[in-house]
Amino acid sequence: MAHVSQRPVGEPGNLTAAGLLVPATIFVAIGLMVPIAILFRYSLNAFVPGKLMVDALTVANYVKFFTDPFYLQVLWRTVRVAVACTFFCLIFGFPLAYVLARTQSRYKNLLVMAIVLPLFVGNAVRAAGWMVAFGSKGFVNATLMGMGVISTPIEIMYTETAVVIGIIAVNMPFMVLTLQSVIEGIDRNVEEAAFSLGAPPMTMAMRVLFPLALPGILAGVILTFILAMNAYATPVLLGGPKFQTMGPLVFSTFAQQNNWPFGGAVSFVLMTVTLILTIASTLLIRRRYA
Amino acid sequence: MASLTLDGLTKSYGDVAVVKSVSLEVRDGEFLVLLGPSGCGKTTTLRMIAGFVPPSGGSIRIGDQDITRLPPWKRNAGLVFQSYALFPHMTVAQNVAFGLEMRKATRSEVGPRVAEALRLVRLDGYGERYPRQLSGGQQQRVALARALVIRPDVLLLDEPLSNLDAKLRLQVRLEIRALQQQTGLTTVMVTHDQEEALTMADRLVVMSDGAVRQVGTQSDLYERPADLFVADFVGRSTMIAGTVTDPGAFRSDGGLVLTCPAAAQLGPATLALRPERLTLGPAARGLDNHVPGTVSFVSYLGAMLDVHVRLNGTDHVVVQIPNKADGLAPAVGDTIEVGWPASACLVFPRETA
Repeated sequence: MAHVSQRPVGEPGNLTAAGLLVPATIFVAIGLMVPIAILFRYSLNAFVPGKLMVDALTVANYVKFFTDPFYLQVLWRTVRVAVACTFFCLIFGFPLAYVLARTQSRYKNLLVMAIVLPLFVGNAVRAAGWMVAFGSKGFVNATLMGMGVISTPIEIMYTETAVVIGIIAVNMPFMVLTLQSVIEGIDRNVEEAAFSLGAPPMTMAMRVLFPLALPGILAGVILTFILAMNAYATPVLLGGPKFQTMGPLVFSTFAQQNNWPFGGAVSFVLMTVTLILTIASTLLIRRRYA
Repeated sequence: MASLTLDGLTKSYGDVAVVKSVSLEVRDGEFLVLLGPSGCGKTTTLRMIAGFVPPSGGSIRIGDQDITRLPPWKRNAGLVFQSYALFPHMTVAQNVAFGLEMRKATRSEVGPRVAEALRLVRLDGYGERYPRQLSGGQQQRVALARALVIRPDVLLLDEPLSNLDAKLRLQVRLEIRALQQQTGLTTVMVTHDQEEALTMADRLVVMSDGAVRQVGTQSDLYERPADLFVADFVGRSTMIAGTVTDPGAFRSDGGLVLTCPAAAQLGPATLALRPERLTLGPAARGLDNHVPGTVSFVSYLGAMLDVHVRLNGTDHVVVQIPNKADGLAPAVGDTIEVGWPASACLVFPRETA
């Protein structure tokens, strides 16, 4: 046995490691990097009505985006919605994840299943269900009016609130599951040590639990923020035609206006803003707790 | 600094009682050890004192103050965990300072007290390191410093040595004991290791099945065990099953008639013998009890030899003798005389199930 290689996977010169990495790498390269590169090239092209895309090397599409108040408003709305969703996912998700991680209940697996279950229902299906429930003649308004609680229907559908609630519902499982796995890795005795040294629960959480859960908080925030920035079905169905966000804007620019150069520019703005805000929030959270 | 009193302390989960009406008095400055096999309720008792487990009944007092319903952060108890439970994201100094900050100590007060606590556990100069950069023994001492620096009313130690390797454990035992005496802290330690318990404690509490079996000093437990469980758990005993037929007369199931203390209760009983109180060879003949037997097994323990002697088809005893290396040690198959005085007999009525 002495001559059998015990090299860990990933060491240079290890053919097995290369073999393990290649398929995913090729997939990512062809499926992601190449289209993004092409998209970027398109975004520098010119759009001539009637001729569609014309080869060029211009930043006109980006200038158009950043000088038109309409597009700036769409971007600002998207960021606002994504930040709000991520914030509430974290605030609501952390206690839930904590209970899930610490419970001794024999129904723990059932609880985890209950968290995962919503993921079985696609975004579009769920949003459609909400349209039925929250429309002006929908279940909620009909019930409240029938009971005499309200006299005119509450405007729930086609508001920013509806979109925010919808995205929170979609993203919550990702946040909770990410946090739960990290909190489970924190020694329960460390929390008890803080208690016994005189820290009440909130102080313990701020000084011990959050800093130790930081990797999970970051991962959960990044994941839900990216998902919220790029949400499509929920804003379209719950926000309605006037509630434009970046995801649907990319689609309509490409598919309805056939303006590929501008669509490419919108895509790149979305990607870049997501990236910058993700990095910024990571740095911010790190500085706050580490 | 204060005394600690447990009065009828009980914990049940549903129908299962894990701690059954435990009453104890830990005197000011005393080192009390809760000793028992795993699952005996000793850790639950300690966690009730710390405030992590709400008691189902009974009360806990520190000095005159009833702390039964106080949350852990309002009890002034210093706790050292088996896993040390240091804060991994804080330096050693920050770990030790944590409890002082919670007590709103001023900055000018924290620095010197942290330094003093680290000096006490011989870790001065380690303040800026992180726990992961320390050895197990050093982490253990940081945990101790962190618990001591808050000047707790009671110090609670939950199997503090079981994650250390054997050699270090012997050393840390003595260090903790010395520290405790130096600070005069009322201390409760939980352990399943009887040797650890015997070396460190002022008094010991033997627990099993959630109940206290005996409270006493080392020699109380060893010389005068309250029941068969204590005789078996503290130190070693070999057991001979039989019956006390007349005052001072014990008849084993194997047919031996032995002399035992006259006070032994009549009826079915178990006779427990400490291996080192038995004598082998011709010297056995002058003792109250002497029985011929056959050596069935000899185990070599270095300084000592354990000689297993079969007395008849049913009864056998273990005799511990010094390893004199004079070539006269008994060998398997030898016929040999075993003897012991009546005073070496610990007789317990057989528990009727």
